Amino acid sequence: MISARQLTKRFGPLTAVDRVTFEVEKGEILGFIGPNGAGKTTTMRMLTGFIPATEGSAVVAGHDVFEAPMEVRRRVGYLPETPPLYRELTIGDYLRFVAEIRGISHGDRLRRVGQVMEQVGLSGWEGRILGSLSKGYRQRVGLAQAIIHDPPVLILDEPTSGLDPGQVAGMRDFVQHLAQDRTVILSTHILPEVELICRRAVIIAGGKVVADDSIDGLRRHAGGGLRYRVELKDADLDAIPSLVGALPEVEQVTPRGVDDGFTLLDVRAPADPRTAIARLATTRGWTLRAMERHVPSLEEAFLAIVGAER
Amino acid sequence: MQVAWAIYKKELKVYFVSPLAYVFLGVFLLLAGAFFYLGVTMTGEASLRVMLGNLAIALLFLLPLLTMRHFAEERRAGTFELMMTAPVPLWAMLLGKWGATWTLCVALLAGTALFPAILAYYGEPDWGVIATSYLGLLLVCGAFVSAGMFSSSLTDEPVAAGMVGVVLLLPFWIAGTLAELVDAAWLRATLRHASFLTHIEPFSRGVVDTAALAWFGLFTFAFLFLTWRSIESRRWR
Repeated sequence: MISARQLTKRFGPLTAVDRVTFEVEKGEILGFIGPNGAGKTTTMRMLTGFIPATEGSAVVAGHDVFEAPMEVRRRVGYLPETPPLYRELTIGDYLRFVAEIRGISHGDRLRRVGQVMEQVGLSGWEGRILGSLSKGYRQRVGLAQAIIHDPPVLILDEPTSGLDPGQVAGMRDFVQHLAQDRTVILSTHILPEVELICRRAVIIAGGKVVADDSIDGLRRHAGGGLRYRVELKDADLDAIPSLVGALPEVEQVTPRGVDDGFTLLDVRAPADPRTAIARLATTRGWTLRAMERHVPSLEEAFLAIVGAER
Repeated sequence: MQVAWAIYKKELKVYFVSPLAYVFLGVFLLLAGAFFYLGVTMTGEASLRVMLGNLAIALLFLLPLLTMRHFAEERRAGTFELMMTAPVPLWAMLLGKWGATWTLCVALLAGTALFPAILAYYGEPDWGVIATSYLGLLLVCGAFVSAGMFSSSLTDEPVAAGMVGVVLLLPFWIAGTLAELVDAAWLRATLRHASFLTHIEPFSRGVVDTAALAWFGLFTFAFLFLTWRSIESRRWR
């Protein structure tokens, strides 16, 4: 549905986006993440046709962004980082205007405006002046504007920035709801959000794609495999780490101290070593208090990947 | 065309919900009243010649205030991104904005209709001359709106855009004065031709001069074209 091929944008001597290539399948929500200044906004501006690419190409909703920009514009809903609002207009006037330039026929316009206002939770706010709205409400109007023509592709640039936690949760549910029958690119640096609603993410840093994988894949990839936390007790505490480390399944054991007579171990292993450790504990007569797998969060994965690039 | 119409309506709405249009109308009518009084008392003629001539010069300074926000503010508020990612051709945006400001000018000039009415009450004005004078002023408005839009496309700062607009238009006024100061005939003729005052002069005599029509048409289109080029080239940077 969206395909970026070797997209490059240079501003004078600065290469803001460097040969970015990725695909988004129909019906997918892609998390587009990266540190500030990584080139996220520039990439999205190229995908929407707002700025031309220096090199490379992009196909969105079946049309080439640079060869058939109007076809792409018709099929994309775009929420820029700052909601693009005319401060002087009321919410109703603004949305009716957007509906009109989006080519929605006169008869459907009022109905569509009413629908999207209800969807984003703005019912009854029609007469409010945009300039007087709080950040959360501006964001809602921005989102209403992006979906008013019912586009198959949605590109959202940090839709939750500046919202309070309740609003963030609301926006998240809404994006998830919208994605049921749409293709969505969601740019953000709030990683728990990506973990919750995206199955795949592209990480961009310094203008380059540094990772493109499923969320699970990204987590596994980070920090060289999974880690396990094991708590064992025995009369001879010192022998435990070396004996656990001697198991063929285990790659590395790091003692993390002693708590209430139990030695705490950090075990790194490519495959799950827990049954082997349990068997060893039984044979040796150790007391096994806890054993848990530690899955790195996307945040850890992100920091590991972006950090490695720097 | 529907898109241009939508933009036209939106621009007019923005003018009339903000105090700008009303303040502008007030200042304009105040000036018009002063010029009318001075014109009639000084010349003793039942004509609008002095008033309309001076209003053309006043518009040079005032109109950039109406056009300065067109692109500068759209860029600053990010709405330019909205327009350029919606199926809005650039020409529709230019046409809608130009049309809206020009329509506001028509409203301003309509506000001065009181003065010919006063003339008709006390004297016998030449209606033909009044009609062509207004036509000339509408042409001036169209030209100045176009130049003002160009200056607004150059910067993200509306106030700067307004000032650039005035600076851009000034030469087309003072060229006429300069023409009287130079000796070389070719230079004098060129400077005279560059001045918009030269070209509204026939209208104030009741003559619809095709050369003058062409001059204003060319001026308007030239600056609309430059606006279009300026916006396109900025997208590439």
